[in-house]
Amino acid sequence: MELLEVKNLSKHYKNFDLKDISFTLPKGYIMGYVGANGSGKTTTLNLITGILKGNEGEVSIDGLSCEKDARGYKEKIGYVGDDCYFPAHFKIKHIRAVLKDFYPTFSTDQFNSFIRNWKLPENKLIKDFSRGMKVMLMFASVFARDTKLLVLDEATNGLDPVMRTEIMKLLQEYVMDGERSVIFSTHILSDLEQIADYIYFIHGGKTVLYDAKDELIDNFLLVKGETAKIPSALKKELIGLDEKAYGFEAILPSDKAELLGGEFLFEKPTIDQIVIHYITSQMPK
Amino acid sequence: MRAFYFMKIDYIMTRKQLYFIPFFCLLALVIGKNAGMEDMSLLVACSYLLFMSTIFATTPFAYSVGKNREFLLLFPATVTERVVGRFLFGLSFEGVLGLFCFMIVGVNMLIGVKTPLWMLGILLCGCAVGIITVTLEFLLFYLFGEGKDNWQYLSNIVRITPGMALFFGSSYLSAALEKAMASDMGMNLEAMSGRLLQAGVIAVAVALLLTAAAVAICVKVIEKRDYA
Repeated sequence: MELLEVKNLSKHYKNFDLKDISFTLPKGYIMGYVGANGSGKTTTLNLITGILKGNEGEVSIDGLSCEKDARGYKEKIGYVGDDCYFPAHFKIKHIRAVLKDFYPTFSTDQFNSFIRNWKLPENKLIKDFSRGMKVMLMFASVFARDTKLLVLDEATNGLDPVMRTEIMKLLQEYVMDGERSVIFSTHILSDLEQIADYIYFIHGGKTVLYDAKDELIDNFLLVKGETAKIPSALKKELIGLDEKAYGFEAILPSDKAELLGGEFLFEKPTIDQIVIHYITSQMPK
Repeated sequence: MRAFYFMKIDYIMTRKQLYFIPFFCLLALVIGKNAGMEDMSLLVACSYLLFMSTIFATTPFAYSVGKNREFLLLFPATVTERVVGRFLFGLSFEGVLGLFCFMIVGVNMLIGVKTPLWMLGILLCGCAVGIITVTLEFLLFYLFGEGKDNWQYLSNIVRITPGMALFFGSSYLSAALEKAMASDMGMNLEAMSGRLLQAGVIAVAVALLLTAAAVAICVKVIEKRDYA
């Protein structure tokens, strides 16, 4: 059963176009939404949360669209951004009061328990919080109510490893009941290796790769060897050829493995390596 | 109901300016007393309060930029609820300061200072002008400014100019009325008290209707914008 459905989503700006983004995310799964800076990750996530309106396409969560039922749609979403969206001169008590007003499922006890456990200062203004505290406050605000989809935009950047590990654990617990899902954009691809089930890779506003993480890894090989020995047939298939003094590194679609012969080393790549080589392949030489 | 929640957010966001309201109320009384127009001090004080209210009422727009705008957009609510909430904030400011004007009248009556009935009519008309001014400011903000981060300078002009015009306009009117009182027209004003009071009530009702129309226009405009 799909929780999030994105169909042909497009958004046009003066200097940037997000084109024809389509994917589905089933209930109980985590999707990593990856790409370089300026590739369209935040635009897509803002379109999903309803902060932005698309020019074309549709987004639905559990069958609801923002156009038809803005209230119901937004109640299902928990959003944690790269930057704190709570007003800088709010205190925790103000956030608690406002969330209680707007979200019928908001649990003050649960929220207070997160605040206590993460030692967030009740009497400080948000602007005096550290980056980590702001992120944890956003997480407390979404974990304290019943949501169906968590949208995380670079949310774990700037967190210390202990906090990051705790958040990863909470995300896994979040999807455990099989009814809720997470879409997660990050530059820390090791986080995705750890928890993502699906990977959506976007570059220049267009889809590059979209698959289940394990299949994506199986679909590529990380190839290393001497640059001089690369035959032209192989060179055409290599993605993101990175030539160094001691040899080269690139990725190759697994179905082209026969081109390797016995000359090169190959292994399963990480998501990080696939993404980096793809981005390198798109850069002007 | 959610419109009231948005109004509450605006009050929390702008809570610091609330601390200044008693100070401005006192200042209004002092300005009124020193206006050099014995009978018109109430009108001068009230026009000063209305001037302040038109500035205070638009403060949330200064906060609704960048991430703070995202904060408001994330709440499960319709565009109408968000816009109505903002207008309720503006009107509540007009309401509170308008109420203070009438409290002064009440206190004056208690201490034996007579306030002519026609002045109450003019005060109500002043409140109507205040409501229309705030409505116009909000309309300008929603049509040209809301959601645009680089609108700061123009927004300062929109925030201050109508209120200034209101203050100086009503000060001029007070002076004109003071002169008229000294002449035969004073008698006429007394005779027109009932009609002036009726005109004041109608003016407030018309102002509120114009506000409702402005809300409808703002909702349409925001619904067409590229953010929800």
